[in-house]
Amino acid sequence: MLSIKNLTASIGEAQILKGLDLEVGAGEVHAIMGPNGSGKSTLTHALAGREGYEITGEATLDGEDLLGTEPEDRAAAGLFVGFQYPVEIPGVNNMYFLRTALNSVRRTRGDDEISAREFLSLAQEAMELVEMKEGFLNRSVNAGFSGGEKKRNEILQMAVMQPRLAVLDETDSGLDIDALRVVANGVNSLRSPERSMIVITHYQRLLDYIKPDFVHVLVDGRIVESGDHTLALHLEDHGYADFVNHDLDPASLSGAPA
Amino acid sequence: MSIDVLPARTAALDQVATLQLPTKRDEAWRYAPHKALGELAFGSSAKPAAVPSSIDDQIPAIDGPRVVIVNGVVDLSRSRLDSLPAGLQIHRLADAPDEAADLLQRGYDAPEDAFSIINRAFGTDGALVRVAGEVDELIHIVDVVVPEQAQAASASRVVIEVAAGGSATVVETRLGGGESAGGSNVRTEISLDTDANLEHIVLQDLPASQIHLARVDVVQSARSQFQARLFNLGADYGRVSYHVYLAGEEAHADLSGLYFGFGSQTLDQQITVVHAVENCTSNQSYRGVLDDDSTGVWNGGVDVRPGADGTDSVQSNDNLVLSRRAEVNTMPRLEILADEVSCQHGATVGELDEDALYYLRTRGISQTEARRLLINGFADQVMDDLRDDVLRSWIAQRLGHDHG
Repeated sequence: MLSIKNLTASIGEAQILKGLDLEVGAGEVHAIMGPNGSGKSTLTHALAGREGYEITGEATLDGEDLLGTEPEDRAAAGLFVGFQYPVEIPGVNNMYFLRTALNSVRRTRGDDEISAREFLSLAQEAMELVEMKEGFLNRSVNAGFSGGEKKRNEILQMAVMQPRLAVLDETDSGLDIDALRVVANGVNSLRSPERSMIVITHYQRLLDYIKPDFVHVLVDGRIVESGDHTLALHLEDHGYADFVNHDLDPASLSGAPA
Repeated sequence: MSIDVLPARTAALDQVATLQLPTKRDEAWRYAPHKALGELAFGSSAKPAAVPSSIDDQIPAIDGPRVVIVNGVVDLSRSRLDSLPAGLQIHRLADAPDEAADLLQRGYDAPEDAFSIINRAFGTDGALVRVAGEVDELIHIVDVVVPEQAQAASASRVVIEVAAGGSATVVETRLGGGESAGGSNVRTEISLDTDANLEHIVLQDLPASQIHLARVDVVQSARSQFQARLFNLGADYGRVSYHVYLAGEEAHADLSGLYFGFGSQTLDQQITVVHAVENCTSNQSYRGVLDDDSTGVWNGGVDVRPGADGTDSVQSNDNLVLSRRAEVNTMPRLEILADEVSCQHGATVGELDEDALYYLRTRGISQTEARRLLINGFADQVMDDLRDDVLRSWIAQRLGHDHG
């Protein structure tokens, strides 16, 4: 579904992603873990299409090029990005925003706009999924939301947008254990054979709730190790020290799959 | 004419003959187009203007009493003055009753300027609104300007009095048409007796060929409440100045507004609230959106006079600049000559939030639509002060119309 080949991303002189390869198949959940500064958020923004990066390499979604297109076209192609720091937008109503977003991608795909009634029932389901109360949709987008509310709002948007591929960047950061459970439940119930997910996280904690099919370790702009979920447990016990600042020594990877 | 206002008018005309127009050195007129102002030719229409019927479609569709003034003269055929609700009197200013003489000739704290003197000289018609009791229906005063020749300018006057304990909402809509450059000069004078309450809404959207000069003088008695809502949406030079004089204790003035400029418009807000006695409160909260080559001016002042202890005032002015060629000049002013006062002010000038644009676009919303959402989101926070849906949708439609 998603294929990334030799992806690099630079800001000015600084190269942050240094040749990243990743293949994500339909229905798979991949976790990307890495220390601070390893390029996790840059990967998110490179895929989403943020301005300001110089990008080389290749990324395709269902065989279609992503990197040459605008952020809104990537959304229409089925990409959804859940941000580490969702932006507050005072004055823009959350419900109106969601409906505009959904209708925008539908129009781009050549589909009819959703009716008000259909939208309301879709929004209602999404609200229940993230355990939000009625008034949530009538507030301005993320404005004055707590950290937990912002993250729940990201998952709510994902539930409404029904993407092919979701990239969730540090969705667990700043969450207490109850909010983490709600967010993880939301993510888990959106798993489907048709939908793939990339869960980017610093800590293994989230992976107790969202069990990935694959775990990748991102260090210094490259994926340096891939494995199943037990790789995350190794990182929990040993940290990233094994992967940082020296060449990999397989002997030190006790507990990680070969 | 039933009131002998001739001496005052003659005196004003004499003054006009020797009048010095403001210059760039006058702080309150710094951004005005002085050459164009000097070329305006004030005078009453010789014949009723041929007003295009498209003007009628532009007027907000508010039910209830309505006075329509065309080129400085009340147009009775467009007005609705029959079956006024209890507690409301509306007169055409040219036919004002004798008993209103004092009200029509009262002075105000703020000094007259060249254009208020011109208004006294040429503003012979307009509306007198007297409220005694609670009037629920919106009172609509529409000022239409269609210059009959280049540089033709009209003057009109609106006088509003709310008696003790009375309350009302007055909407003043200013519209224009025609191709000629020209101007208008509208003076509004408002007296609020004790415990009176007035919401005063100004909707101003004139063609970019016209100059509009508006001045609003307000005197407030004890415990009166004044809410001013300004939507300054268009004119070549669109100026609104407020002079609010809090004369009685515990009076409250709440002024808010939106100016939204595009093309080469200059939209100029000049506000002074005078706290003359103890324990009055005031709020000024304005937002500006400036696109293309437009200029926004917000000059908001609070004067706390000696003895006006216990004054509480807040001023804020936030601006969104959409183009590198647009300009905004924001000047909060404070003059405090009393003790134990609380006066806060703040002003911001910013561009569209790039992070917010990116966020919206990652949700599939096009760049154009995302910009529109953010601009409207900023401007709509001023509209939240309006309760009436017809007015809100009129403003939204005018903003949408202006920006495709």
